[in-house]
Amino acid sequence: MTTSAQTVAVPARAKTATAAATVRRKQGFQHGGWFIAPFLALFAVFVVWPLLRGVWLSFTDANISGEGASFVGLDNYREALNDQAMWDALGHSAYFTLLVVPCITLLAFLLAMLAHHIERGKWLWRLCFFAPFLLPSTVAANMWQWLFTQGIGLFNETFGLDTPWLTDKSYAMLAIVITTLWWTVGFSFLLYLAALQGIPGHLYEAAKLDGANAWHRMVHITLPMLRNITGLVIALQILASLQLFDQAVVMMDFGPGPELSTRSFVQYTLEQGFTAYRVGYASAMSIIFFVIIAAVALGRMALLRTREEGTR
Amino acid sequence: MGRPDLNRRQLLTAAGGLAVAGSFGFAALGTGADALASGADTRVRYWNLFSGGDGANMITMLDAFRKEHPDIAVKDSTLQWGNPFYTKLAMAAAGNRAPELGVMHMGRVTGFSPGRLLDPWDVDLLAKYGVREQDFNPALWKRGVIDGKLYALPLDIHVQLCFYRKDVLKKAGLLGDDGRMIPVGSTTEWFDVLKKAKAVQKKGLQTIGLWTNDQNFQWWFFVAFYTQLGGEWFNAENTEVLFDPDKATQVLEFLRQHVTDGYVIPGAPTGEQFINGAPFTWEGNWSVPVFSGAKLDYGATPLPPVFGKQATHAESHAFVLPHQAGRGGATNDGAHQLAAYVVQHAQQWAAGGHIPAYTPTLSTAAYKKLTPQNEYVSAMDHQATEPKVWFAGSTGVLAQDLGPVVVSSTMGSAKPDKVAQTMKSHLTKLLASKNPMDGRTAAQGGAVA
Repeated sequence: MTTSAQTVAVPARAKTATAAATVRRKQGFQHGGWFIAPFLALFAVFVVWPLLRGVWLSFTDANISGEGASFVGLDNYREALNDQAMWDALGHSAYFTLLVVPCITLLAFLLAMLAHHIERGKWLWRLCFFAPFLLPSTVAANMWQWLFTQGIGLFNETFGLDTPWLTDKSYAMLAIVITTLWWTVGFSFLLYLAALQGIPGHLYEAAKLDGANAWHRMVHITLPMLRNITGLVIALQILASLQLFDQAVVMMDFGPGPELSTRSFVQYTLEQGFTAYRVGYASAMSIIFFVIIAAVALGRMALLRTREEGTR
Repeated sequence: MGRPDLNRRQLLTAAGGLAVAGSFGFAALGTGADALASGADTRVRYWNLFSGGDGANMITMLDAFRKEHPDIAVKDSTLQWGNPFYTKLAMAAAGNRAPELGVMHMGRVTGFSPGRLLDPWDVDLLAKYGVREQDFNPALWKRGVIDGKLYALPLDIHVQLCFYRKDVLKKAGLLGDDGRMIPVGSTTEWFDVLKKAKAVQKKGLQTIGLWTNDQNFQWWFFVAFYTQLGGEWFNAENTEVLFDPDKATQVLEFLRQHVTDGYVIPGAPTGEQFINGAPFTWEGNWSVPVFSGAKLDYGATPLPPVFGKQATHAESHAFVLPHQAGRGGATNDGAHQLAAYVVQHAQQWAAGGHIPAYTPTLSTAAYKKLTPQNEYVSAMDHQATEPKVWFAGSTGVLAQDLGPVVVSSTMGSAKPDKVAQTMKSHLTKLLASKNPMDGRTAAQGGAVA
């Protein structure tokens, strides 16, 4: 009765294996636990605790001094949802994201292709495309603020324009988008470049032997092989762009831009918290923003999962 | 034997613990340690927001004080001005880690929870060190008084000025016999002046630098000209909005006309173009050191009274006592002494363009010799200020709400009359809203002087 012997034997073996694993896990935690303890402690103090505290504050009318706050229930949330200025600010962040994400993805891909295929002075291209990313946001934003200034700016001068880039609401956000592209494309460029270098050369050779031209190789090898990295670039860019703040604030001289047209969600939250001292209200807005960003991230993950399942 | 057995590990742990505890302890005892290090008995921590030329002037004054008072160690910290400063000051006062002395803009004092985040000055102690109410412009002194107590000791007033290039104006025939710009009494006269200046100025530059897209400057200009028109904000009880949209429209149209008539390049830098030869710029008096440093032949007068009445926007730097639970004793005395000293020795401060609040300084020969300061010292007597409510003051809620709206009119993306209505509705909303610091509206708040 080999079958029954096996059926008996397998659970028995599994049992000992499980027990051993439990022991190992216990020992593993004893040692490993200490290694991750510093991280856990910092995470708890600087992420979990502020988050919980933020949630609590959002149900109060706390001010900046932290004194005399009382519980107000959902009042802050109710007010926020009826606050046109908040919706406008959210709209500006979303508009910025819609403009930046496709442009940066495409641009990063094209630049990476260029840097990957050019043979001479390879390092120079890489440096040129990546270097702006190393600048602090204030430096990049200040530079471009000068370039965009109407009347004396290099941008209008070069292209023979007289566009009020920073002072008209139809252009202000565009100016911020252009600055952001120049400043941050380097990071996505680097991801693409690494991914391009990771595509095995033999795929191209085999395709060439089969008579595939450059276009075919691009569509049938390069793009599919880059699909994961494209997903990553898009996801990271969406999350980063929704959090638009520093470059916009610096370029608009710490104001909300012409007719409030560049006031982002983060900026409006900051204004409520640190100019109007309404910490409770600002906390409620932060939580709302947290939910929105989490929803975007989860939505993207869900989308990715269905797509992966579809290809299986 | 009471002595416990110690192994090496326990000893190390104990030593480590002591070291950590010790470092916290010394941090907490910083006051004493620093004072000992400097050999002084009393340490006065002083937070200010002065950078650039103002910062250098302040440090010169502090050094002079240190020399005269070796028994007081002044530990000054300069922080980023604007909201970051006020946030830190509020949190320090709330957390009982406040410095002995601080600086604020006068307009922000009402909203800074006097009595909770700020302690009142001991007027007798100030008098002991030579500073008395009668040595100040009465309107200015009163702005620092809340519920009958002095919360802000004024150091200066700073105003928006009309800077002009004498070389250009001379060519245009706009310079009087006294070498100063000819007086202007109406908007027509003002635009006539601009027209004449434009005819002779260097090409490629704007005629007047007006900070058209800066929400702070545009707001300050609005306050000045609205005051010139006799415009009011709220009734005395802060229960009713008296803002007049018609007057506001007049002001907004006036500001806008500079752009439509082509005297301004929107977004162009003001000071740089002035240095390069632009005939006019409206700038804060803190630009005096910059223009003097560039060795320009220039003058500076308060904003022209185009609506008939003299009024120019004024804010004021003032000394405050951030709230300390146990305020008193030698450190508090030292804070009073230091503030009184700086206020009385503001000749140095005047070099930075500010008008000293301590009036005896204004009548000294040394001050009268300062140009162009002596040309605009009269601004002290016609200050246009924001209403005395919790949401007013430099970079405060009011400026933040209304500044961008004024900009949209000046830049031409919204109509002046519509903007005036928007401003009124903002003011109505703000007047009814509660001060987050104490949950009281302006009508209920301690904003009554």
